[in-house]
Amino acid sequence: MHALIIDDSRAMRSILRRIVTRLGWETSEAANGREALDLLERGLVPDLCLIDWNMPVMDGYDFVVQVRSEGQWRGVTLMMVTTESEHTRIVRALAAGAHEYVVKPFTPDAIIDKLALLGLPAEEVPA
Amino acid sequence: MTSTPFLATREDLELLIGEVWASHVDDIDGLQPAPPHAWLSAAGDRGEPCWSGAVSVTGNWRAMIAVDLADPSARALARGMLGLDESEEIDRGDLGDAVGELANIVGGNVKSLMPGPNDLSLPLVANTLLEGAAGLHPHVILDLAWRDAPVRVRVLALRDSSPRPDSPTEATP
Repeated sequence: MHALIIDDSRAMRSILRRIVTRLGWETSEAANGREALDLLERGLVPDLCLIDWNMPVMDGYDFVVQVRSEGQWRGVTLMMVTTESEHTRIVRALAAGAHEYVVKPFTPDAIIDKLALLGLPAEEVPA
Repeated sequence: MTSTPFLATREDLELLIGEVWASHVDDIDGLQPAPPHAWLSAAGDRGEPCWSGAVSVTGNWRAMIAVDLADPSARALARGMLGLDESEEIDRGDLGDAVGELANIVGGNVKSLMPGPNDLSLPLVANTLLEGAAGLHPHVILDLAWRDAPVRVRVLALRDSSPRPDSPTEATP
C-alpha cells in the first residue's frame, strides 16, 4: 500500500510518515497540491492521499477537486489532515470528494482509526 | 466586521497547546505554567535568541496568533516533530518549519472557536519576536515553560474584539 503525504510542513510530513510506515505503508511526499498532482500525472498511483488544506501554490481543497475531476484517480482514497476544523470546511471537503477528515492536532490512533474505518491496512507490522 | 467578541479563554488555550504537545512532540515532559518571561522584542537586541511563529486570521474576526519559543525549546520541538535524536543536528529550515507548523495548528484551532467565515494565513516565522499588525492588541497571553525554557502563546486582536470576563486581558510583558 502506498500513501502520498501532502503538506507544506516537513515536520508534519515526518509525523504522518512515521505513523503509516509503522503500518507497513510505503510513502511519497509533496509540499503542495501542485507537486502532488505532478506526481500523479507522472504515474504514481497511491492508495491514499493525506492532504493538508492550507498550502502555498495549490491548497488541499483544490487538489481534491482536481483529483475527483479525473476518472483515472477514482480509486484513490483522500483524507484531509488539517487545522481547518469549522463544520462548513469539513462539509465542503467531503462534498468535493474527500473520504475522511482529521483535524490537527491528532494522535496516531486517530489516523489509524480512520484507516480502519476506510477498510485500509491499519495494523502495526513488526519492525 | 470588528465587533466580534473573542470567545477563547486562557483554559481553552492551555488545553489546546497541551494537546498539541501530547500529540506531536514525542516527549514525556509536559508544558508547565510559568511566570512571564522578559522576551526581547526588537530585532538586534542582544540576549537569548528566540523563535516566533504566527498566523493571521482575517474575515469576521481579525487577529494574529503567535507562539514564541526560546531557541533551545524550538530546537527540541523540531527534533520531537521530526523524530530526531538529541545528538542529531537540526538546520534553520527545519527549525522554522516546526515553529511555523506549531503556530499553524494553534492558530487554526483558535480560529475555529470564533464565528466565521474566517481565513487563516500561511505561517510566518522569524528568528526574533513577531509583533502584531497595527491595531492588534494582546487579548490572551499564555506563559509556559518546557524543560525550563520559556514558551508563550499570544492572541492579538482588534481592541473591540472584547474578551469574555473569564478571559483576562494582559499587557505584553
